[in-house]
Formats: sequence, structure tokens, C-alpha cells
Amino acid sequence: MNALTRILNSPVGRKVTMAVSGLLLLGFLVAHLTGNMLILVSKETFNHYGHTLISNPMIYLAEAGLLGLFVMHFTTGLYLTRKNRAARPQAYERNERAGYASRKTLASTTMIFSGLVVLVFVPLHIWGFKFGAYYESAEPGVRDLHRLVIETFQQPAWVIWYVAVMTIVGFHLWHGFGSGFESLGLSYRKGLRRFGQFLAVVIAGGFLLIPVLIYMIGDKL
Amino acid sequence: MSEMTFNLRVWRQANSESSGRLVDYTAERISEHMSFLEMLDIVNDKIILEGDDPIAYDFDCREGICGSCGIVINGVPHGPNPGTTSCQLFMRHFKADETITIEPWRAKSFPLIKDLVVDRSSFDRIIATGGYISCNTGAAPEANNTPIPKDIADEAFDAAACIGCGACVAACKNASAVLFVGAKLQHLALMPQGQAERDRRALRMVDQMEAEGFGACSNEGECEAVCPKEISTKHIARLNRDYMRAAVKQALRP
Ligand code: HEM
Ligand code: FES
Repeated sequence: MNALTRILNSPVGRKVTMAVSGLLLLGFLVAHLTGNMLILVSKETFNHYGHTLISNPMIYLAEAGLLGLFVMHFTTGLYLTRKNRAARPQAYERNERAGYASRKTLASTTMIFSGLVVLVFVPLHIWGFKFGAYYESAEPGVRDLHRLVIETFQQPAWVIWYVAVMTIVGFHLWHGFGSGFESLGLSYRKGLRRFGQFLAVVIAGGFLLIPVLIYMIGDKL
Repeated sequence: MSEMTFNLRVWRQANSESSGRLVDYTAERISEHMSFLEMLDIVNDKIILEGDDPIAYDFDCREGICGSCGIVINGVPHGPNPGTTSCQLFMRHFKADETITIEPWRAKSFPLIKDLVVDRSSFDRIIATGGYISCNTGAAPEANNTPIPKDIADEAFDAAACIGCGACVAACKNASAVLFVGAKLQHLALMPQGQAERDRRALRMVDQMEAEGFGACSNEGECEAVCPKEISTKHIARLNRDYMRAAVKQALRP
């Protein structure tokens, strides 16, 4: 067997692929959230931040990298889930959680569904903001993304959608963080799992706070 | 001695081709000191007296060391008690008049033979690809010739406790065998004698696991929870490390 296909196309390799791509995407989420929080600082800070990002030519490399990770993650995730399901063609009549040492949760059993929601969300999200309405700010050449964000989240439907999706992302990360490290060969550690769950709440909470705040006090931002 | 009655729902299936279903039985006059399998024996006695086909299930030692028995009891492999095989599970762990659902291990790689009996020879084929040390070792060596730290020896021994019952596969939502394969790799990989074939063993056994149709690990730890020998999922993490290291080494080999 070819060495590279062996690495990638083995039950271990598929999980390592999931873990590397998933954890790097998680790293992106942390950076993305930190940047987004600037909207709470001031209109200018936020617009300047966006401007700085897109004026750097390295942005294309970063975007290509992110797209690559994302595609790698969801294609492997879909294939992996299909193979995993095929390993048990007939379901149990009665299936219970074993308890004790088990870390099985609602989050861990629904990874494919939470992932699929993200898969639908991401193109809509990019279409809505990156390729959304272009407003020029007071400074020429600087896009007024702040206005687009505020306008979007003054519509309750968008707020509800974002809150729902971010909660689901939180579920994905609740299991994903600790699971990812275990796939990379680190033994289960309760502390690391707990930290991942904390991080999941912080990331999901942070992301959903922004639309909620804008909806409530958007005119003051 | 109190006697109990249970309502059983038992999976009956004549062979792998026919379709199965849950059939109701009543287990009467069951002592709390009986094992789960003894309870099934009582039910079977009655079925035989009535001229019907008794429930087929696997067992050998009935003392929790051979790994033959394996029944999913109320949705959990080997039933509600941790660190217990079905044969060592006692009826005092159930409430009188309880309804107990009894099913076989369900996995593509464990084809059903009859009722609760499945074919676990996929495990044997995995072992056959590398779960051994092939150099001649001669007579038993003097124990202190090869010093092994106590903690490493203990971990290897914990892994070696695997009786190959397949409960890990039965419990896993992906019917993955990584806990089994991990244990079978690590009881050798932790020992000096296991080093020579360590890489080859990891590659071959994991590849065979894949070829047999077992799933991958979702890190839920259900396997450890149902394992009668309580084998730790750290052996899965070690399997991941060993496999990746061996695969990368192989890829980089000139
Ligand atoms: C921002 C987006 C995402 C992040 C940060 C993320 C993160 C993660 C992480 C860290 C894991 C754990 C990996 C492991 O168990 O080794 C994981 C697992 C998984 N992800 Fe994602 N993910 C994202 C999007 C998606 C998408 C779009 C899908 C679509 C199918 C998906 C499907 C899955 C599946 C199925 C698993 C579980 C694999 C298993 O059970 O073994 N994820 N994700
Ligand atoms: S019959 Fe041997 S372990 Fe249960």
C-alpha cells in the first residue's frame, strides 16, 4: 500500500485528519471571535481591523488555508461517518449509555449533524458579510462593515439563526476539543476535556453574544 | 432465599440469513444468587420441556476469564455492572419483575450465527496479522534478566488482561475494535521483547481491523465502560501514536 494513502486512508489516519483540521479550525474561531469583539470597542476600530486584514496580500493564503482545512474536515467527516455507520448495519432494539468511564454525550453522538449545520452556515455567512452589501465609510477606501453587521443583526430572524447555529457549534466543540487531542494520541484527561467544554461555552457564548447585544442595544454601538 | 420473576425479551434468529425478532419469555423461580447465564439455563430448560428450540448463547468458563460469553443486556454489553462479564453478572443486580432485553453483539464484523451467538473470528484474523512475537524465545528466561519498571509492567499487564470478548465493539456506536487492537498491541509494545516487530504489528493489525469492517474511534469511551477487564482508552491513544509513527517511518524509508 502506498505510504501516504495508508496514513490518510486508515481508521487512525482519518481521525488524525479530523483532529488536525478540526483543532486548527478551532484556533481560527478563537482568532475570529477576538477580532469580532472589536465591534464592541468602536465603529472605527472594527472597520480598521477589517481593512487591515483584507489589505494584507497574505490574506489570500490564509483564506486558501482555511478553505483547505474546512474541505478536508467535512469531506473526511462525511466519509468517516458513513464508514462508521456501515460497521453496524443492524441497530440495537435497546441501546443505553454504559455510564462509568463513558464520555458519551448528546454532543458526541451528533457530531455529524452539528457539523452539517456548520456546513450550511459557513457559505451563507460568507455570502452575507464578505460578499454582502458594500458601504463606504467616512474614510475613503475603507469598507463600513460595521454598518452591515449592525443592519443584519437588527433583524430578529438573523439573530435567531446565529444564536441557534452558535449553540450548535458549541455542541460540536464540547466533544470535539478533547476528542481531537485523543485522536492525536494524548490519553484521556478529565482536565483537558473540562477545558475544552469551557472553551466551547466561551466560543459559542462569545459569538452569539454579538448578535444579541446588537439586537438589544445596536443603536448605541 | 427469595425467588424472583423476570420478563425477558430475547433476540431469536435462526441463522444469519433469516430475520430475527424479540420474543417474550418469563423467567420464573430465579434466585438472586444465580448468574445471568444460569437464569437463561432455567428458561432454556422450560423451552426444551415444551419441545421448542432453546435460546443459543455462548459461554465456556463461566468465571469471567475466557471471553466467550457476551450478551447485550438492557442496551449495555455485559449488562449494568462495570468490570463484569455476562457470566459473572448476578440476578441480584436486577429488580424482581423487571423486563430485561437481551440481544447479541451487533456489528458487521461479528456476523450472527444464531440467536445470541455471533462469529468473532474477525478478532482471530486481526491477531493472526501480528499480535504475537515471532522470534524464538527458548525456555522461560530468568525473570530478572530483563529489568522492566514496575509501572510499565503493570500497564502491560492491564492491557494483557483483554479476554477478547468483543464488548468494546458491541458498545461502540461505530462498532470499532480499537480498544481490543490497542490492548493487543500495547501488552507487547510496552515490553522490550515487543520492540522488534512493533511498527509492523501496529500497521498490520490496524489495517486488518479496517479490512474486517470495524469502524473508527469517536473517543466516547463506551468501550472502557463496558470492558469486563476495565481496559483503559489510553491504549487507544497509544495505538494512534504507534500507528502514525510506524506509517510515517514507512513513508520516509528510502
Ligand atoms: C468551524 C468549524 C468546525 C470546527 C472548529 C470543528 C472541530 C472539530 C473537532 C476539533 C473535532 C474532533 C476531531 C476528533 O475527534 O479527532 C471534530 C469532529 C467532527 N467534525 Fe468538526 N468541526 C467543524 C466543522 C465541521 C463540519 C462542517 C462538519 C461536516 C460534516 C464536521 C464534522 C465532524 C464530524 C463528523 C466529527 C466527528 C468525527 C468522529 O466522530 O470521529 N465538522 N470537529
Ligand atoms: S463464559 Fe468465560 S468469560 Fe463468561
